[in-house]
Amino acid sequence: MLLFLGRRLIAMLLTMLSASVLVFVLLEVSPGSVATKVLGPYSSPEQRQLWLVQHGYSAPLATRYFAWLGKVVRGDFGYSTRFKTPVHAVLWPRLAHTALLGLTTFAVMVPLSLTLGVLAGMRAGSVYDRLISLISILTTSVPEFASAVMLSAIFVFSLAWLPGTSSMAEGFSWRELVLPTAVLVLYDFGYVTRMTRASMIAVMYTDYIRTAVLKGLPWHVVILKHALRNALITPFTVIMLQINWLLSGVIVVEFFFAYKGFGALLLEASLNQDVYLIEACTLVAVCVAVVTQTLADVGYTYLNPRLRFEA
Amino acid sequence: MRWRRPRTIHPAVPELQEQLRTGGMDRREFLRTVTLLGVTASAAYAMVGRLTGQPLVPRVQAAGKLGGNLRCSMRVQPMTDPATFDWGEKSNQARHILEYLTITGRDNITRPYLAEGWEASEDLRTWTLTLRRGVRWSNSDMFNADDVVYNITRWLDPRVGSSNLGLFDAMVTATETAQRGPDGQPILSKSMTAGAVEKLDDYTVRLHLNRPVLAIPENLYHYPCAIVHRRFDDMGADFSKHPVGTGAYTLKDFIVGEKCVLVKRPARDYWGPEAYLDAITYIDHGDDPSAHLAALASKQVDMVHEVGVESLPGVERLPHVVLQEVATAQTGVARMQVTQKPFDDVRVRQAVQLCMDQRRLLELAHRGKGEPAEHHHVAPSQPDYATLLPPKPDHARARQLLTQAGYPNGLTLTMALGAADAWHIAAMQAFKEMCAPAGITLNLNVMPGPSYWEVWDKVPFGFTSWTHRPLGVMTLELGYRSGVPWNETKHANPAFDRALDLAVATLDVNERRKHMAVVQKLLQDAAVIAQPFWRSIFSATTKQVQGYATHPSLYHHFNGVWLA
Repeated sequence: MLLFLGRRLIAMLLTMLSASVLVFVLLEVSPGSVATKVLGPYSSPEQRQLWLVQHGYSAPLATRYFAWLGKVVRGDFGYSTRFKTPVHAVLWPRLAHTALLGLTTFAVMVPLSLTLGVLAGMRAGSVYDRLISLISILTTSVPEFASAVMLSAIFVFSLAWLPGTSSMAEGFSWRELVLPTAVLVLYDFGYVTRMTRASMIAVMYTDYIRTAVLKGLPWHVVILKHALRNALITPFTVIMLQINWLLSGVIVVEFFFAYKGFGALLLEASLNQDVYLIEACTLVAVCVAVVTQTLADVGYTYLNPRLRFEA
Repeated sequence: MRWRRPRTIHPAVPELQEQLRTGGMDRREFLRTVTLLGVTASAAYAMVGRLTGQPLVPRVQAAGKLGGNLRCSMRVQPMTDPATFDWGEKSNQARHILEYLTITGRDNITRPYLAEGWEASEDLRTWTLTLRRGVRWSNSDMFNADDVVYNITRWLDPRVGSSNLGLFDAMVTATETAQRGPDGQPILSKSMTAGAVEKLDDYTVRLHLNRPVLAIPENLYHYPCAIVHRRFDDMGADFSKHPVGTGAYTLKDFIVGEKCVLVKRPARDYWGPEAYLDAITYIDHGDDPSAHLAALASKQVDMVHEVGVESLPGVERLPHVVLQEVATAQTGVARMQVTQKPFDDVRVRQAVQLCMDQRRLLELAHRGKGEPAEHHHVAPSQPDYATLLPPKPDHARARQLLTQAGYPNGLTLTMALGAADAWHIAAMQAFKEMCAPAGITLNLNVMPGPSYWEVWDKVPFGFTSWTHRPLGVMTLELGYRSGVPWNETKHANPAFDRALDLAVATLDVNERRKHMAVVQKLLQDAAVIAQPFWRSIFSATTKQVQGYATHPSLYHHFNGVWLA
């Protein structure tokens, strides 16, 4: 078990390291353009040259990379030109906002899609199954920007039940969280439901379930005690991957509802060529991806009795 | 000994009064010109009443209600150095903290602000500003002539990089630098003429110009001309960190991209009439117009800074909202850089101009809200506009010009433009179709708004938006005079510069229009821009917001605004 975790950890670090090399090379290979981005288009060539020398850009790429990596490891991501503040001062609060949005989304989406998926998969082809599958496919096929417009047309403009934007300008508000969460749940729950359903159906056809039914166990005992644990292995992995998806999937939602989260930050950083902020955002995204992937693997091995922690 | 301000009236004023009486000048133009020459706005309005026999009743304003927080949806931008502001939004964030020497209202009339009054010499080359007394900075220093001298000197220092360097070109001298350009000529660096700004006493400042300029008071209300404290650089040269100002509000909370919160200073600390609102909050809802609309619909904000023409139908449907329209000199220009191929050939540029059908573009891209333009960047709503023959599209002539220029089979052009404004793309897509019959294949290189501003003065062909300015000459000074920083077309024509000098130095309206006719014609013939139209702009407030009227530059003046 420990050996397994250790190996995974090393693999994780290596992935992140190579990602950091890529990010650094892509964004900083041409120092001149970095200086232009940091100092703005109105800066003079002398100013840029001066800035480059002051910030150690005369050193070779490898030296600069390790200096940069050293700072990043200590949590110093540099200075954001767009927000006129150190990158960490804007990055962590935004990440926390998105984490909150993600958490509420998962709190609704996971129970909902698991329940629906199990219900549908219990008896493939039943009326329940048809109905749930239909709804899942419909909602998943509506893109977020469309459902955001529809939901706000109904709940903001027609019924006036909910606030139209979620910038939390006057402090935290649960009401402002409703629409962004709804859009994300609507888009995502169908997929997880379908995956759960498929997994459930596969389990329901196995011999041991047939045996359980044939030996006269009550239906709910068969489902809860025998089918569920095995049926949940696939959805668990899928759900872990949704965390990763969410980090970029929120961009549309955050833009539409003016929610001040990580997605909006990434968008703003890219549109404004804010080099250090883009680097930091990318590294955070990679980190989240690698960590959730590892958790998914560990969880999968743990849940699936056929796999053991072997190297 | 204190220098005494003479109580004389500018010698041109009686002549202007005569012009007004005989109908040689209309009321608006009269008001604008005499107030520029130092007559107070109320005296000018009184003169109009006497001369034309039509009393102008000053707008009676019901007393407003104190208190409240006005929430406005607007981008919240960094505001480090007011002298280098390049977005109206930045100046709006700072506008209730910092003040200007003069203020131009939505009627294009410039009134005293931190300057109590001003006088111009007869030749319009010496301007004397009398400053207001008893104005206290928020750090409790008193405002005085040192602040003004410091600010003007700073604007005209090339190291600061302020666009004011072009605006106050008459106070600037070009000197050779040690560096040489690609042509082997030394690169010129423009900086303030020695002694161009002079402190006469603690409350009097005099400007000495190289050549006559009429629009000094109007220039002083250009948005990067906010007056900062005389120790701005010592305080770290970052306004958002040390927001010391003379205005009625101070900065309470500021996060770029999120919000900017202003709170009222104690009324006894502010020199002017007490402002009504306790607080002003700018909330950043990003670039998505539907977010602005949604915030207004659900009453999360009381006001939307600017409503795009594409959102009008949505706003019109909201029962609790008032939509305001104002005709402006805001525009966009398809500008061609004369130093780059193929635009170094005037025939190519003229061919591009000849493809444009302004009226159709206005209908197609801006719901017909505005006025067609005439390729010379002076708007009919500006007082110095001279009427020329409106240009007409002529594809046959365009083809002929292209053939002469060596493109008998037509040519392919690529235009860069930003995606931030939907109407830019709509107008240029329609223009693309208009270019095709003349054999011009126009490719549009659409990029995010901020990316365009990285290259706006570098690309050979681009579509640049220009904001409203009260006088046509102001834009021409900023954008088309040889060698000024914002000259994106690299248009350089000594004849044009001289004609512009003449126009800005002429008081007589009819005479000035004659000069403007020359200036406009020269620019039109140089064909450095193809200009589709002048657009109306819109903002929206809830019915609760009282005392607010949209300014053609979208400048916010909230001291007299209250919430019912």
